[in-house]
Amino acid sequence: MASLDELSCAQIARGVADGSFSATEVARASLDAIDAREGEVQAFLEVSRDLALAAAAETDRRRAAGEPLGPLAGVPVAFKDNMHLVGTRTTCASRMLENYDSKFTATCVQRMLDAGATPVGKTNMDEFAFGSSTESSAFHRTYNPWDTTRVPGGSSGGSAASVASGEVTLALGSDTGGSIRQPASFCGVVGLKPTYGAVSRYGVVAFGSSLDQVGPFGRSVEDVALAMCALTAGGRDPYDSTSQDCSVDFLEHLEDPIEGATVGVIPSLMEAEGLTDEVRHAIEAAERALEDQGARIVEVELPNMASSISAYYVIAPCEAFSNLARFDGVRYGYQEPGCATLAEQTALSRAHGFGEEAKRRQMLGAYLLASGVYDQYYYPAQQVRTLITQDYARAYEACDVILMPASPRTAFRFGEISDPTQMYLSDMYTISNNIAGNGGVSVPLGLGEDSGLPVSAQLQGPAFSDRRLLRFARAIERAFDARGKVAPAFAGKGGEL
Amino acid sequence: MALSKQDVAGIADYARIALDDEELEEMCRYMNETVQILQPIREYDLEGVEPTFHPIGDLSNVMGEDVVDDSVRALDIDTALANAGAKRDRYFRVPSILGNDGGDR
Repeated sequence: MASLDELSCAQIARGVADGSFSATEVARASLDAIDAREGEVQAFLEVSRDLALAAAAETDRRRAAGEPLGPLAGVPVAFKDNMHLVGTRTTCASRMLENYDSKFTATCVQRMLDAGATPVGKTNMDEFAFGSSTESSAFHRTYNPWDTTRVPGGSSGGSAASVASGEVTLALGSDTGGSIRQPASFCGVVGLKPTYGAVSRYGVVAFGSSLDQVGPFGRSVEDVALAMCALTAGGRDPYDSTSQDCSVDFLEHLEDPIEGATVGVIPSLMEAEGLTDEVRHAIEAAERALEDQGARIVEVELPNMASSISAYYVIAPCEAFSNLARFDGVRYGYQEPGCATLAEQTALSRAHGFGEEAKRRQMLGAYLLASGVYDQYYYPAQQVRTLITQDYARAYEACDVILMPASPRTAFRFGEISDPTQMYLSDMYTISNNIAGNGGVSVPLGLGEDSGLPVSAQLQGPAFSDRRLLRFARAIERAFDARGKVAPAFAGKGGEL
Repeated sequence: MALSKQDVAGIADYARIALDDEELEEMCRYMNETVQILQPIREYDLEGVEPTFHPIGDLSNVMGEDVVDDSVRALDIDTALANAGAKRDRYFRVPSILGNDGGDR
């Protein structure tokens, strides 16, 4: 008897194709695992049992009829709850959208379904993706499967936890400042933020339009590569004007040696305030592992990276304020009853529909875009973005990828970081990549020597080098034997096939 | 120059978010604190540096033909109204825009 915990995406798809098990059996195994584990993890805002079983039945029908099956046939996948899927609500973990019924399906979701994946549900997140711990969800906490007294990271915390706990094999998240890479790191799974434009955002509720990118979580680099094949299949999405054709075979060069390649490290980042010893040591071990496989390590610098948090907290709130202006309480979303005027209805619907952090970010954005203030912050922040982008371009003249931490520390406890501005600093290693629009991936390095919690390396690369990033991530994975591990407290609970 | 509670009230009005007195104070504290972490932006000499409003700026937008799309992507009226808090017939229903007295607001 197989367990879903042990199976890769490719093994599931192959097993469904050759009749070792049916897609329905796989779907039931995932739903069983959710029944057994969800009480302690709470990764989901909605489990789409009926949709999952219907999709699996369709996959089984196709097989019986001799029709071609997709590369993700039968693979159980979860979607962050900012992604539209007909038949589910899309709440963004906000009271504002508590009852919002998806009337269309996001391209990224559709492409996973087209590849044969089984949609198991929608995952918890920080409200509208504003946060790094999933604590700002209006509905409930999500618990880190490696230590349930700790946060899973965020904002895609539910997606990371659903994969780490073995409830699903794959999940999609979105990353505006680190919201895939940081929770992947906290939960010990692989998380890729592809290059800006590589994956369509059509049907994904917008936060920061010049920063947002959708990407996959998996328990192995190979699973993430397979998900990228599905997400980019079909090329450009005409419904997202930033979408680019990135359809390549992400598996093709995955196992290629990295011998002779050049890996950049940034000495100043390894001495940064707030970086814990265990994370530093793990990154140094990753550096040696890449060197052992024949890569050359070179020192590079990103002189303006220290300003990326400042630039981000100008650009992102401004874009969020603009995007969230659509929540007017009229067309959809929470509507305050009994108002005498439209202005009153709008202001009270937004006051009572949005949570605290969503209001803070919009207020900040509204201020920064105000006449007279704009010239002091917004415009210069976009100039600093140019400098950061140029820093990266110069660094990539000297190296193929850059190695650094995904997060300065391992998962923190609930409530441990209560000051919003302190929380913002937890994205210090991920944010600059969104500002430049490049790709980045978190890959597990095993457990930290002090905390015993998952630690990850982050690899960053030039724009549209996502396949290369996965090849280097695979080289790290190979050395650390961190592939495919479900958090031990949850392994084996339900999920048998 | 710190933001006053009155400044923040003006921003809240502009942002269409009703905040009570206590919330205004809390928001005022947050905004003044957060503006501090933005200061590095103002310390740069950015003379002659072009802004980047969008990453990967040398790539072109995806353009569509300027024709009405009657396919599945265009929501029909019932679907478009389905998530609305209030509607009447084929329309979104809203309270009075000017107020009952037809006055200033």
